[in-house]
Amino acid sequence: MRDQRLVNLAELIAGYSLSLQGGQAYRIDAEEVAIPLVVELYRAAVRRGALAYTRVEPSGLEEIALEEGSDDQLAYIPEDERIASAELDAWCTIWGTVNTRALSGADPERRRRQIATHYRMVAERWKRISAGTLSWCGTLYPTQAHAQDAEMSLGEFEDFVHAACHTREGDEPVAHWQEVSKLLAARARELQNVRELRIVGPDTDLRVVVEGRSWVPGDGKENMPDGEVFTSPVESGTAGEIYFAFPSIFQGREVENVRLRFQEGRITHAEATSGQEYLRSLLDTDAGSRVLGEVAFGLNYEIDRFTRDILFDEKIGGTMHVALGAGFDEAGTRNTSDLHWDLICDLRAEGEVYADGELVWKAGSFVTEPAADLV
Amino acid sequence: MSDSEHRRLADVLVGYSTAVQPGDVVRIEPFGSASPLARELYASVLRAGGHPAVHLAVDEVDEIVLKEGTDAQLEWIPPDQERHLTTGDVWIVIDAPANTRRLTGVDTERMAKQLTARGPLQSRYLERSAAGQFRWLICGYATEASAQDAGMSLRQFEQVLHRAAFLDADDPVAAWNRFAERLERAGSFLEGVSELRIVGEDTDLRMGVQGRTWIRSKGLRNFPDGEVFTGPVEESVEGTIRFSFPAMRRGRQADEVRLRFEGGEVVEATARRGEDFLREMIALDDGARRVGEFAFGMNDAVGQYTGNLLLDEKIGGTVHLALGRSVPGTGGVNQSGLHWDIVCDLRDGGEVYADGDLVYRDGRFLPGVLSS
Repeated sequence: MRDQRLVNLAELIAGYSLSLQGGQAYRIDAEEVAIPLVVELYRAAVRRGALAYTRVEPSGLEEIALEEGSDDQLAYIPEDERIASAELDAWCTIWGTVNTRALSGADPERRRRQIATHYRMVAERWKRISAGTLSWCGTLYPTQAHAQDAEMSLGEFEDFVHAACHTREGDEPVAHWQEVSKLLAARARELQNVRELRIVGPDTDLRVVVEGRSWVPGDGKENMPDGEVFTSPVESGTAGEIYFAFPSIFQGREVENVRLRFQEGRITHAEATSGQEYLRSLLDTDAGSRVLGEVAFGLNYEIDRFTRDILFDEKIGGTMHVALGAGFDEAGTRNTSDLHWDLICDLRAEGEVYADGELVWKAGSFVTEPAADLV
Repeated sequence: MSDSEHRRLADVLVGYSTAVQPGDVVRIEPFGSASPLARELYASVLRAGGHPAVHLAVDEVDEIVLKEGTDAQLEWIPPDQERHLTTGDVWIVIDAPANTRRLTGVDTERMAKQLTARGPLQSRYLERSAAGQFRWLICGYATEASAQDAGMSLRQFEQVLHRAAFLDADDPVAAWNRFAERLERAGSFLEGVSELRIVGEDTDLRMGVQGRTWIRSKGLRNFPDGEVFTGPVEESVEGTIRFSFPAMRRGRQADEVRLRFEGGEVVEATARRGEDFLREMIALDDGARRVGEFAFGMNDAVGQYTGNLLLDEKIGGTVHLALGRSVPGTGGVNQSGLHWDIVCDLRDGGEVYADGDLVYRDGRFLPGVLSS
């Protein structure tokens, strides 16, 4: 039976996020478990006249490649992926798997090679996304595995996902996201004038210089759900300490109670109550991995809890997050890295943020609405 | 099927059927859900040194574009597929339907349009295959739907496929090699024949095969397999044939098809049921009225009709012909968007004459005919 919420989500992504047009070449990527959403996305694309196709894989292939593949095989990029990266007009990636921890026990060095190949494969794609010649949207199909990570039943998690996307039965998703888009654009314009942010919270007092960088509204075009404003800080300008109360997850592995100290933009001290070694290895990825590539405000208040999935967690209304490693071209970054690791700082209970000394954020929300003339 | 049976099958498909070599780019494409086999194929290709990718074909996608797509959408070929068929090395299709009749409600004209659009690409990869530059394989896979068509349980149908694939042999590859020798004898005998005459109930069909090549179909392009086939001299087909098995295509069916040929073309086509569908297929294009293939099914491990063409056309004791496109490599020159195999059972009283001599009766070549 068709799930009206998936129909809503598909229509939202095709119509609002990607603005699919007739004749556009469009690909939908997913794991087998997400076929119900693939089908709705495909239908929505066909109805808009797009030239759509699907790229659906069974689960478990990465694990097999790690076990059976030679180094050459792990480094191989298929020709059809190159062509797709160069030629497509629109692309939707559905995350959603049957087991989020299937690769937790994999050989780290081989897994690193596999991920590096993936990054090389998508680099061309990202250039075109940044340049605006390729529309892309990433979304999640709710599965038991993701529900389990979020400590919910599948039914509860589905409700949560569709609330976050405003794709429940009876919702008007496009109107909602158009409104969000206006508000976030106004907020981004306000932040544009800020030279330095100071984030104050439990065990946290961090100064982040953002002068001259562009703030980007995450308004549901490239992620669904969405709801953040982000930029890439000035590389040498981060100083102070920050504490992350939520577990910090990278590639299915958790590090708990991360504390970082920055001096002149670089991490000089890092500790965690568990996963300390993994934390160190990530920080040692390369020269750029000890520098912030992103600072952002999470502004989706339908997302009110931690799920262990970054698509949701970085948008939790009332949190801020920073990412270690690669920054965003569209924000004006100069930091490059193979790492981009988002860590979430919960400011909902007692956090404050100052912009050039002025209190702009308290207990999980901006203290003022965006100025009316900016909306 | 157990994991170990999937692995055994995968190793035969990769090691014997497609003979994957280091560096080969291999596309594994299950139609329907056959992920346990797809994963074992993926692993087996990696062990052979190839570069595998699995592309699951989603049933509903085809249905949606057939029902709702514009002509441009219907005729569009995704770039990854086009790329692989024109430059890749190996393509393994797994036929694992969740519902064999899901397209029964689709307008046949639209199906025909889609077929026609895919014709040139199909010709291209078949040419590459004939030139030894590309190996493609269609592998049967037991699902509840295919078992239901065969009037069996899933377990029973798995066993039918298992036997037909010689997977019950101690060494399946050795069994396929022995079987290939028998197909070789049949092929070399038939290559000495100028004219075949098929005689059976309501059937008396003549065709010239002189100068054409008989392909020994020994598990390299279909799996399971077991036939020898050629493309008859196009204008030479004369007479009538009645097909004992239903003619099936993408969820549609015509029963008890009778065709009359004159000068190589169908001049009369009737069916007890599904005659409109039969006529639409024959009207697809000029080539759809001519015979692109004639074949002897030779696999005696496949006995009963299952409603699954991949198996039925291999049944030892049957012949089949295909309306439409010739297969490159046979010498056939017929062009069409269609290639539609229809099977005729000769096990009960059927006869075949080669240049006037009786060589085959009741579904078997007569003793001595195929001796070397």
